Amino acid sequence: MKRSVFLAIALMIALVISSFATVTIVMTAGAVGAELQVLQTQIKEFMQQNPDIKVVLMPMPNSTTDRYNLDVTYLSAQMPEPDILFLDTIDPPAFADFLVNLKPYFTDQELSQFFQGAINNDTYNGRLVAIPWFVDAGILYYRSDLLQKYGFQPPTTWDQLIQEAQYISQREHIQGFVWQGAAYEGLTCDFMEYVHSYGGNILDENGKVVSDSPQVKAALQTMYDMIYKYKISPVGVTTYQEEDARHIFQNGDAVFMRNWPYCWPLLQATDSAVRGKVGVEVLPEGTGFPGVHHSATLGGWELAINKYSEHIPEAVKLIKFLTSPQQEAYKAINAGQAPSVLSVYNDPAVIKAVPLFKSLYDVFVNAEPRPKSPIYAQISQVIYDNVNAALTNQETVDQAVAKMTSQLKQLLGQ
Amino acid sequence: MSKTKNDPLHKSDPYYALIFIIPTLAVIAFVAFWPLAQTFYNSLYKSALMFPQNKIFVGLSNYGALWQDPRFVNDLWNTIRFTAWSVGIETVLGVLVALMLNKKFKLRGLVRAAVLVPWAIPTVVSSEMWRWMYNDNYGVINSILMSLHVIKQPIVFLAFPSTAMPAIISVDVWKTTPFMVLLILAGLQLIPEELYEAARIDGANAWQRFWSVTFPMIRPTIGIALIFRSLDAMRVFDIVFIMTKGAANTETLSVYNQWTLFTRGFIQPYFGYGSAMSVMIFLIIGILAIFYVKMMKIRLD
Repeated sequence: MKRSVFLAIALMIALVISSFATVTIVMTAGAVGAELQVLQTQIKEFMQQNPDIKVVLMPMPNSTTDRYNLDVTYLSAQMPEPDILFLDTIDPPAFADFLVNLKPYFTDQELSQFFQGAINNDTYNGRLVAIPWFVDAGILYYRSDLLQKYGFQPPTTWDQLIQEAQYISQREHIQGFVWQGAAYEGLTCDFMEYVHSYGGNILDENGKVVSDSPQVKAALQTMYDMIYKYKISPVGVTTYQEEDARHIFQNGDAVFMRNWPYCWPLLQATDSAVRGKVGVEVLPEGTGFPGVHHSATLGGWELAINKYSEHIPEAVKLIKFLTSPQQEAYKAINAGQAPSVLSVYNDPAVIKAVPLFKSLYDVFVNAEPRPKSPIYAQISQVIYDNVNAALTNQETVDQAVAKMTSQLKQLLGQ
Repeated sequence: MSKTKNDPLHKSDPYYALIFIIPTLAVIAFVAFWPLAQTFYNSLYKSALMFPQNKIFVGLSNYGALWQDPRFVNDLWNTIRFTAWSVGIETVLGVLVALMLNKKFKLRGLVRAAVLVPWAIPTVVSSEMWRWMYNDNYGVINSILMSLHVIKQPIVFLAFPSTAMPAIISVDVWKTTPFMVLLILAGLQLIPEELYEAARIDGANAWQRFWSVTFPMIRPTIGIALIFRSLDAMRVFDIVFIMTKGAANTETLSVYNQWTLFTRGFIQPYFGYGSAMSVMIFLIIGILAIFYVKMMKIRLD
């Protein structure tokens, strides 16, 4: 009798333990194109290796602003789920107080495998609040067939780009240069590239507003002149986002385009009018100032852990799995996303699948982050509103720079 | 038919009524009044969404600050501009189309159904569609104007203040005129044919018949339609958010409000300010509704 009671209790305890043994972690994820399928395959493999962890994917909207708003909703509700957040490069400072410091979970050696720019980007107030998952940077796409036809080399300065674009576009009756000029985050990315390339900056290392400089004015003047003086960019560029620019370039209607690496597989697709006629290069540099250099705005996506998560060790395990060289290589080959891990760029299988990555390595290593601030979204809006106002003749270049400076100073209390 | 006071069915009516009404009242209170009260409560504090523990009671000062905020005042004017133009044009077009569709002609049912198509398309989809139609390179509008030699250079409609707001208003007119048509058509069908016969016998021409018979009879319907449309237009968000994100001086109150609550009020103490803005939008729309009801002498019961 006693024995059967003991057995029954033992059985019950075993049942309770086994039901607790599997933990479920929820992860937000992008759902664009191959991205979600690739991730599902990776998650399946992870769950086979870790039968005690169940991973549920929560697909997110496409636009970074919508994702930001959703994350705000989850975190402000102090929900333990999603455990793993999928954050844009610009988001870590804003979310920092609500994310787990990952430094104790990673050795220095593990962290040294990532792009250091991306690790710096994800460190805020000495806490490592996210791990880079894939990186992005602005690059120059050019029509290699047209450059060859007219005997030009890919441009290294903005002046050279203007000259080549003018020459070719007049003869081919197509646009010279398309980019992102609409009043939104993408314009801040483009503008920062011009500013850096002329040796200027918007905030210095200490976060002080330094935007009222001849370099910043020269940067904005160059963008303006491309539209109204040299007419290499259509006036409509002031309403373009990434996809608007890509459609024009992919249709063969532009000589140059500034965009992100995601365009590459699309430009090489069988239905593309410019398949096999496209080259990529680092964006041109400014002229006439000390410190001019080639600049690319750093983009990309990070993985972070919700402070309210009840399964932090399991979430760390998943992040380590997803950012391991093998998984980064798998993702690069199948989803075309640029790895955040340096060694993957030496992986012959990856370079064979996406040759572009070899030439992009230097761009990624030197990519420059946007101003790092918990109120980045507001800083960015001040920048793109004023730049767009100048590009649509609502303000002069000098007015726009002055207004941007005073608004930034007010915003940052300087 | 006589009812005695002891009639059990009759006697229990009020209690049953109460029991049946309570769920409805509870649902209305839960989905309408509770969020409103919560928003008003939030608007009395200086607080950030992520740090509710740090909130400071500031009374009604957020409301005063709204009128010191040039962006709020500017956006209020934009919203009024949008509402006046879009609702005005929609009403005139709505009456005209409804009058046409009220005549008997072949395939009338089909045409009536077809008119509703723009209204049936989700606003997000139609805004995105129109954004492409306005595109300077591939947009069908520029393509037509260029081939008709009306313009030499493509017009970048959504880039400049002079064209962006009219472009957005046009999309709203295209989308919601069918709604006006639907309501006014319903009103037209209620007019008895005898009134027109009497007017004809009195020798009234078409113009006189419209002003003395049709218009007075559909005035209450137009009033209701105006209220619906104006309230809707005053809180316009989706069309603007998708087509320009507020660039080229097209930002409306709701677009600014969304930005204040989410982007600005997330870790900075502007969540209360954003809530005050929400309540203010509600009040402005409320005042507008009362004004309409009084003006049109509409009896809501």
